[in-house]
Amino acid sequence: MKRLLGTAISGIVLAATMTFAAPVWADDTLDRGIGSEWSSLDPQVNFDAAAGWIQMDAYEGLVSYDPTGKVVPGAAESWDVSADGLTYTFHLRDGLKWSNGDPLVAQDFVNGVLRTLNPDTASEKGYYFSSVIQVKGAAELADGTSKDPTTLGVTAPDDRTVVVQMLAPSPNILQIMGAFQVAPLHSPSFNEFGAGVFIDPAHVVSNGAYIIKEVVPQSHVLLERNPNYWDAANVKIPFVKYHVTEDVATELKRYEAGEIDITYDIPLNQIEALKASNPDEVHIAPSTEVIYYSFNLTHEALQNLDLRRALSLAIDREVLEGKIVKGEAIPDLSYAGGFDPAYHGPQIAEASMSQSEREALAKELYAKAGYGPDNPLKLTMVSTVSEDATRRAQGVALMWKKVLGVEATNEPMERKAWLDAFYAGTWDVFSDDLVGDFAGPETFLAYMRPSAEPGYNWVKPEFDAAMDKAGAIADPTARFAALAEAEKILLDDYIFAPISIVPSRHMVKPSVHGWADSAAGYNNSQWMSLD
Amino acid sequence: MLRFVGKRVWEGALTLAALVTLTFFVMRLAPGGPFSRNRKISPEILEHIKATFHLDEPVWQQFGRYVWGLMHFDFGPSTRFRDYSVGDLIASGLPYSLTIGFWAVVIASMVGIALGIAGALRRNTPTDYLAGVVGVIGIAVPIFVIGPLFQVIFALKLNWLPVGGSDQGWRSLVLPIVVLSLPNIAYISRLTRGSMIETMRENYVRTARAKGIGPRRTLIVHTLKGALLPVIAYLGPATAGIITGSILIETVFAVPGIGRHFVDAALNRDYPLVMGITLLYGGLLILFNILTDLVRGWLDPRVRSDG
Repeated sequence: MKRLLGTAISGIVLAATMTFAAPVWADDTLDRGIGSEWSSLDPQVNFDAAAGWIQMDAYEGLVSYDPTGKVVPGAAESWDVSADGLTYTFHLRDGLKWSNGDPLVAQDFVNGVLRTLNPDTASEKGYYFSSVIQVKGAAELADGTSKDPTTLGVTAPDDRTVVVQMLAPSPNILQIMGAFQVAPLHSPSFNEFGAGVFIDPAHVVSNGAYIIKEVVPQSHVLLERNPNYWDAANVKIPFVKYHVTEDVATELKRYEAGEIDITYDIPLNQIEALKASNPDEVHIAPSTEVIYYSFNLTHEALQNLDLRRALSLAIDREVLEGKIVKGEAIPDLSYAGGFDPAYHGPQIAEASMSQSEREALAKELYAKAGYGPDNPLKLTMVSTVSEDATRRAQGVALMWKKVLGVEATNEPMERKAWLDAFYAGTWDVFSDDLVGDFAGPETFLAYMRPSAEPGYNWVKPEFDAAMDKAGAIADPTARFAALAEAEKILLDDYIFAPISIVPSRHMVKPSVHGWADSAAGYNNSQWMSLD
Repeated sequence: MLRFVGKRVWEGALTLAALVTLTFFVMRLAPGGPFSRNRKISPEILEHIKATFHLDEPVWQQFGRYVWGLMHFDFGPSTRFRDYSVGDLIASGLPYSLTIGFWAVVIASMVGIALGIAGALRRNTPTDYLAGVVGVIGIAVPIFVIGPLFQVIFALKLNWLPVGGSDQGWRSLVLPIVVLSLPNIAYISRLTRGSMIETMRENYVRTARAKGIGPRRTLIVHTLKGALLPVIAYLGPATAGIITGSILIETVFAVPGIGRHFVDAALNRDYPLVMGITLLYGGLLILFNILTDLVRGWLDPRVRSDG
């Protein structure tokens, strides 16, 4: 009996070992690193940037983005804007098809937005339509006060026209009409299989350059060229494989062994060596993630503007990022990052000074606020446990100690606890970061409005008024000018110390063509080719 | 025998029930939740997302719901991996962890026991010293050092095997299996050696030899049977740990097993996944402990009568 059981168990394990089939090792596959794991391949649910790459390959929005992040026609070949900037009319290409051959019609895009907003979907992306741009009726559908899909300001008057009506003009609309936000919904398969199953490789129907062929959780997602894509003739790489590799050091070794063509990240301690040995393969560029240290405005000491200013000026951002953190983050003295070259935003007032001048001024302001060697300021800081975040916090604490004599202690905590600590307010200084919804200044500035994020406890009617003023302007240039005025009000209050812009870090094999670095970070595989 | 197994299974079930209860409530003491974000979701939508996962109910009610699900073999949905249920994730990852773990245990037992016997029989000879050195290295050098070292040697320099992943068939499995077996080889060989030396001094072994039984038969039937008891006692719980996946091995070699969920799920506050993995591990641990006791009882009559 025991022997029988033993034989049976070893038989099962042997069989399992054998099913790890022989490798298909083809050069017609682009192997891309995707970091730790995607959270969902459901186009209306996924909120991860890394899984967003898969989504951008498998689906196409009304517009698309070229490798440099520029808006290019997608499923819509053109669009018109009404004179008041409130209504956008998108004209779909003729003869668009889903991957299974079904015709792709304008209503499919409307259904995608409706499903994103539907509370039953439990998607976190509804705010793109209710807050980032204000689509008519979106907020009511998202919070469940309206159940009537006809109240939504996204409509399909005919099979080839999608009309988006907004409550306030927003030139940013084109930044959120891509596949990540407005992927169409193939209703027949969704209705038949339901959430979670309709995206199964066996059932999935998509409209992008690729279709999802195989999914192994924690391992990989394999995509195959979609023959029904309208531009399939120009999609050069037949297969794309996204590999999960949690450990960046392992990922780099897989890259060196040729198992991966484009990495998700580069280990911090390898950057310098790699830049020396393979300079053409190292791609480091600003992303839309900014780092800033927020001051707790509910604490009496930090309500003093001079003190906040002194703390911000005492940080030597060049030394901090270049010598201490060493993660290639770009030192920054503004907030909204200036990701759009058309935006000319302000920097903090002391940006033109040298660091030693800033430090001298910081000492002066610190003394003026009533602190000194006998009466040092004591601060608690909160950061995540990630290596660069803790190094950065230690560096800042060291600079405050050296320049001002401030006694600051950092409390690193894991990410979820850190997020909750923000709202609990159990800190003097919060090591903050924010990823923009798109590569433009408005996404950052809008976040600072008390109505968007009350956690900063910053009440500033002037800022709200300036943002309202900008929000009513349809012309992009005039709107940017108004946003720059709002950013000035924000920076002049020193409610945080801007620190740096986080870079994207990738290794890209010389055999891969068509890769470009951009803040938006859209790198659709359809633009790439292999030697 | 049946009564013994029945008693142990009953005790195991009680232990599991305690484990489920304790884990369920302790987990919720940690700050943060599965949907903590630094971009504030509007309260209505957040409430709705929480309601989808029944996180808006009182904790005792959530517990009742979870236990009810368990009785129907439903481990619940994963809050982090929205496309999958906890059952799906375990079903997808377990074959990888099981395969690597199984072979690592087999190799570790065979090589470890052989090294241990060789060391015990040829005490203070070069063979013994060699086995000792291997043992010390295996125990002292951690997986996160050996793993990358083997990757550099066997994948990057010699180009024999892939660095990681799971898409090159059996070739993808070699390095994780070997590296996972190393510390266990070391431990088992030290354990076997010590136990062998002790057993060889036992009266019943001396009696066997005095009766004129040949050295080979004395070794295999009499000495080894007794000497393996502590090794079996170690292997039981160790096997449960090894086949449920090693977080280090799976991280270093990018293996899509379930070991990584142990930590990832906890960090992401994916409550159902933490529960599912804990339960699986607890269940296997209890199962292997029962098996260990059965094997020990078979090897050693004293254990049987105690049981």
